[in-house]
Amino acid sequence: MKQVPNAMVEQRTTVGFKGVDSLCPYCGVGCALTFRVDASGERILDVQGRDGAANAGRLCVKGRYGYDYAMHPQRLRKPLIRRESSYPKQPLSGDVKGNGGGPRKPGGIVDYDEILPHFREASWDEALDLVANRLAGLRDRHGGDSLAGFGSAKGSNEEAYLFQKLVRAAFRTNNVDHCTRLCHASSVAALLEGIGSGAVTNVVRDIENADTAMLAGCNPTDNHPVAATFIKDAAVNGTKLVVVNTRRPRIADHAEIYLQIHPGTDVALFNGMMHVLIRENLIDREFIDTRTEGFSELRKVVEEYDPDTTAALCGVDPDDLVRAARLLGGGRRAMIFWGMGISQHTHGTDNSRCLISLAMITGNVGKPGTGLHPLRGQNNVQGASDAGLIPMVYPDYQAVDDPGVQAYFEDYWGTSLSPKPGLTVTEIMGAALEGQVRGMYVQGENPFVSDPDTNKVRKALMALEFLVVQDLFLTETAEFADVILPGSSFMEKLGTYTNTDRRVQIGRPAMSLPGEARQDWEIICEIGTRMGYEMRYESVSAVFDEFAGCTENYKTLSHENLGRYGKWYPCLDPATSDGEPIVFGDTFPRGKALLVPARLRQPEEHVDSDYPLILNTGRVLEHWHTGSMTRRSAALDRISPDAFVEINPEDAARLHVVDGAMVEVASRRGSIRLKAKVVPRVAEGTVFVPMHFREACANVLTSPALDPQGKIPTFKYCAVRVRPLEGASHGKEAMGG
Amino acid sequence: MSKDMVKLSIDGRDIEVPEGTTIWDAARELDIDIPVLCHSTRMRPVGVCRLCVVDVGARNLQASCVRPCEDGMKVETDTPKVERHRRMLLEMLLSDYPEDSAREASTGDDELLELAVRYGIESVRLPDGAADRPRGVDLSSPVIAVDHQACILCDRCVRGCDELQHNDVITRTGKGYDTRIAFDLDAPMGESTCVACGECMAVCPTGALTNQALGNVKLKPLNGE
Ligand code: SF4
Repeated sequence: MKQVPNAMVEQRTTVGFKGVDSLCPYCGVGCALTFRVDASGERILDVQGRDGAANAGRLCVKGRYGYDYAMHPQRLRKPLIRRESSYPKQPLSGDVKGNGGGPRKPGGIVDYDEILPHFREASWDEALDLVANRLAGLRDRHGGDSLAGFGSAKGSNEEAYLFQKLVRAAFRTNNVDHCTRLCHASSVAALLEGIGSGAVTNVVRDIENADTAMLAGCNPTDNHPVAATFIKDAAVNGTKLVVVNTRRPRIADHAEIYLQIHPGTDVALFNGMMHVLIRENLIDREFIDTRTEGFSELRKVVEEYDPDTTAALCGVDPDDLVRAARLLGGGRRAMIFWGMGISQHTHGTDNSRCLISLAMITGNVGKPGTGLHPLRGQNNVQGASDAGLIPMVYPDYQAVDDPGVQAYFEDYWGTSLSPKPGLTVTEIMGAALEGQVRGMYVQGENPFVSDPDTNKVRKALMALEFLVVQDLFLTETAEFADVILPGSSFMEKLGTYTNTDRRVQIGRPAMSLPGEARQDWEIICEIGTRMGYEMRYESVSAVFDEFAGCTENYKTLSHENLGRYGKWYPCLDPATSDGEPIVFGDTFPRGKALLVPARLRQPEEHVDSDYPLILNTGRVLEHWHTGSMTRRSAALDRISPDAFVEINPEDAARLHVVDGAMVEVASRRGSIRLKAKVVPRVAEGTVFVPMHFREACANVLTSPALDPQGKIPTFKYCAVRVRPLEGASHGKEAMGG
Repeated sequence: MSKDMVKLSIDGRDIEVPEGTTIWDAARELDIDIPVLCHSTRMRPVGVCRLCVVDVGARNLQASCVRPCEDGMKVETDTPKVERHRRMLLEMLLSDYPEDSAREASTGDDELLELAVRYGIESVRLPDGAADRPRGVDLSSPVIAVDHQACILCDRCVRGCDELQHNDVITRTGKGYDTRIAFDLDAPMGESTCVACGECMAVCPTGALTNQALGNVKLKPLNGE
């Protein structure tokens, strides 16, 4: 008779674990999870989904399997100082030199053997003193504006708050920014102008109350995967999805209408939809009269966009355009989500203005199943912006050039402050190239890979007199550093993070710090104090309280009342309330919403016979930004190891490009080599390259042209050409699939 | 209010619940733990495993996870008849269960083996169906190990994949004893359109879908977690 194995044969090593309730470190969805970690705190064993407000126990591949980067042997364990012999500064690795030499070894991550010999280990005291002295020296000789700092949307609210405080109070400049500049800066500019608040009006899961949801320029199944599961839930239960994109996202499989528009024609499409809504009287007159201003000017502009001409311009069927418009109006509850496909253009602010107007004229704000939701990318890009990691504003979007605000913060921080708005990410790179910015502190960002026009960024980083980089690994940017400081990973720190829904949640430390690595917040405070501006706090929650104390939205919150599940801001009474999932039911922060009309503008960059294709860039499901985390995760790297360019079968046939073969993609600024993926999801005349792969860095190609309001670069539009590489066109088999 | 509420008794205890509430959910409110393998509170109940059967005085035992409460119903959740039925079902499920459930061996939370302990089943009187026709393993995914032999076809993974995450990758294939879960049109998991969200692995109650990363480790809670 068969025996039931009730006590298992113990061939395995037994490991005791404890569960730590925390969050996923990756995207703005902000999934709650539990890390199971061994007794030593050196090893995360597995991850379990937790019943958070944003995820209801669900996770995606990154949250569930992507935690092991924190345990990677390449973690920095000691402060590093550049050796005398490694001056004058040069990029150190073949990849970063960009002379086509390529890496010494194949593979996606920095080759430490190439870089480390140029640095020596140092004590924290030596490294911090050097940083503080050099930065203070530049400040005293050339003024505060000769310094700049890039903070991180991956860090906590507390770190973001301290970082901008350091730059403003100790560096004495407002040159502080972070990667929001590269993602939603234009959306936020339009929202601040239109309604007076940059945050979402309704949470993602409110889509269950919507009759219609428009998903414009976003790819949620890859970039906000757990949010996508709730969007798909809604579609199954009858919410009609209108999907607008230039490259077919998987969510289009669940859509009522999919509009694949020509790149750069968003404004025309949305104006065309408003034209239909007004013509067919599917608008909400009462809402327009009582809650908005500027309707007559808007109406005049959208008058010019009749559906037939507009549809032809956008490359869609006019009937689809009309049907899509009808789904948004006529009293239906409609929600609008958007992503980088809207914001990362020279006309990104105009795109968002149109979406805001669409919601306003149909009365779709302030009630369940409606609203404006720019899907935030980083886990804490909302919080980092709220905390003032932006050159023009203090915490809570208070303008630096408002004398009253300046006086308030001079008092709050006990020092004098600069009234001059600072430079943005892309402008700082330009200023470094021109010698105006001489010293920089880069914490947890990797501009060498993430910023547009890599060749220009390389020159800018080389031109800096002093660069300190604080990170988990030797990043590409760190090759240009004078000092490298080993920081803390998400899994090692305590702090709050604000997700795309405005939900403030606590991440708790699961692991101990490796080697001599230190908490990021402590490092920031050390630098401030050593530069002569005292920054001492008893605890992370004390930092939170100081931050919350100078804002409206966070002022009722504390680590204690956020607890295990967090709260949405605003939250008037944390004792009884979970916060507000829907805001602006009666009025907007600016009073009436301002409708700002926009006309279609020509893109900065022109397609011609030399550069006939339009390049779009973005992310893949398994990877995060510059890959410094996900390419060090065994599972994620195994699922998605290689760079690729997606090309339409028609273009591929014309250019003799075979699926799986190596090709060269070149723009007016540079060229990269990578594998071709021949797929119909990209439209004819366009190609797509993910941004994560340093060996085929998409930003070698992209253009640094900026949106005039948001100062966001146009990552979604540049002209390129593609050619097969000689002797490499043997297709899938030979490339090993 | 009483129009929408129904009154019933479960194991002699009275309870009033909104119309449409299942017996299983009502029992939970009374802290009565009715065993189940195919159901999870995160999912739509499907009544596949039949372990949650209860006696409502009808001709057949009823699956409490799908059966709605009725006014005046008298439910017995652990009569000898019910327990005999559950024991028989468990023996059938265990008859071809692998020696080394990868779930029990790693995270120690195999729900089938836990029920075997609860019902004191130490040996199985039925022949081992897998003796000459093993159902195989699939290690093609970089993250999830598939042991078809440990699959009890409870459909939790199918619902996790199709209804929670809407990835629509997992389904059933085959007939009779050869019925298995399958990915897409029966591709190996690693070559299917699976996006490795891990929902199937998280909801699987047995050793069928487990975390490869745990390798050779057996987890044991520290200080009574
Ligand atoms: S959806 Fe975003 S927050 Fe959630 S698990 Fe995936 S990457 Fe993490």
